[in-house]
Amino acid sequence: MNAIVNTTENTRRWAAILSVLAAGVMLWAFWLIFFYAPTERTMGVVQRIFYVHVPSAWVAFLAFGIVALCSVGYLWLRDERLDAIALAAAELGIIFTSIVLVTGPLWGKIAWGAWWVWEPRLTLTLLLWFIYVGYFMVRNATENPERGKRFAAVVGIVGAVDIPLIHMSVQWFRSQHPQPVIMRPEGPSADREIVETLLVSLLAFTLTFFALLLYRYALERLRARVEESTYRASLEQPRTISNGAYTS
Amino acid sequence: MAGTPSFLRQALTIAAKDLRLEMRSRERLVSMLTFAVLVAVVFSFALDPTIRARGLAGAMLWVTILFAGMLGLGRSFSQEREQDTMTGILLAPLDRGALFFGKFLANLALLVALVLVVFPVYGLFFQLELWDAAGGLALVVGLAIVGFMALGTLFAAIAANTRLGETLLPILLIPLLLPVIIFAAGATQRLLIGRPLEEVMSSVRMLAAFDLIFIIVGALVFASVVEE
Repeated sequence: MNAIVNTTENTRRWAAILSVLAAGVMLWAFWLIFFYAPTERTMGVVQRIFYVHVPSAWVAFLAFGIVALCSVGYLWLRDERLDAIALAAAELGIIFTSIVLVTGPLWGKIAWGAWWVWEPRLTLTLLLWFIYVGYFMVRNATENPERGKRFAAVVGIVGAVDIPLIHMSVQWFRSQHPQPVIMRPEGPSADREIVETLLVSLLAFTLTFFALLLYRYALERLRARVEESTYRASLEQPRTISNGAYTS
Repeated sequence: MAGTPSFLRQALTIAAKDLRLEMRSRERLVSMLTFAVLVAVVFSFALDPTIRARGLAGAMLWVTILFAGMLGLGRSFSQEREQDTMTGILLAPLDRGALFFGKFLANLALLVALVLVVFPVYGLFFQLELWDAAGGLALVVGLAIVGFMALGTLFAAIAANTRLGETLLPILLIPLLLPVIIFAAGATQRLLIGRPLEEVMSSVRMLAAFDLIFIIVGALVFASVVEE
């Protein structure tokens, strides 16, 4: 059993180091968000959600980039490790996409006066969320896990090709319609304090993402190893055959 | 490779096989057409009678084509799954890209038949003037269904090999098909209210670009979907 745990020892060590680092930077980011960044003049205190919203969106799209690259690699090389990274990135991706979709309307209700607007970036994020849902559904819907991994990789690749097209289309769609009362999240002012806070927050979220990615990856590798050794053990167990039926 | 038929010939053989099966059973086309006409009936009664349907026709038509098309796609690999004929097809000296292209052509042919019925039916039910815009509509709808069927064939092959079957198809397909729907429905609506073709040429160009991308991507990744 120890041999199994040892296989991921290095990964988990790096994950631990990154977690400590991420926790430190996250605390710093939160201090900046609440005590350093100025309160936005027109939107008020709700604007501070921007420092969580934008980094989550960045991580959500970064995660899909990793899913796509690892999917291409997996179909090409058939390396289980690449699939494990893709799975870990997709799980984190859907979590961060959900954070974006929850924090966006909270801010939008105050700034735009509506929970939801068909604004290009909102639409794109919603569709990204659906693509992630499809990725997991297809992965878990096959009898043969290898086939599920292959299909999920195809969804990852086609999704990555399609996301720029979706982005372009919803932008075009928007331009065909009159603009609603929009306060752009960038705001009219880009004060130094705001930019600094955002950058630290971006770093904190990115570090958190990679720490969680490594943990999830190590866990997936462990699960695969345990499954493999259970399967081996089941083969080695003696079976008694009687009347054509066997019991193990 | 000497002795093996060309890519196009392989694709046409697969398409001919599918269409021959369909000609004999007619089950997919009949269910698609019936479903599409029923959707039109539902729209007629779901809409407030005081609303002029002309302003909504683009949306209604594309919802109908999308759903009826997915109904047909859901069955496009049923023979391969239920009779396990995919093993035989894969054993044949056949390029995987040609297999994709053949299935795509057969699905496209069915959808063309569907569209040729859906438009006159909507014209009849909702008093649309189709003749004046026929050329532009043929261009827009033709390009849009090519993209629809290219992505649709790929995901139909995936969905058919899962436990969820055709239920999975809309979940995978609709988000990725949104660009096609946006441009197709917008351009169709404009043509139906009598705008000139020049006004939708940018949509036509976008649809052509999507078609090219979806066909190339589909043909490239299809090998990973059907391998055993």
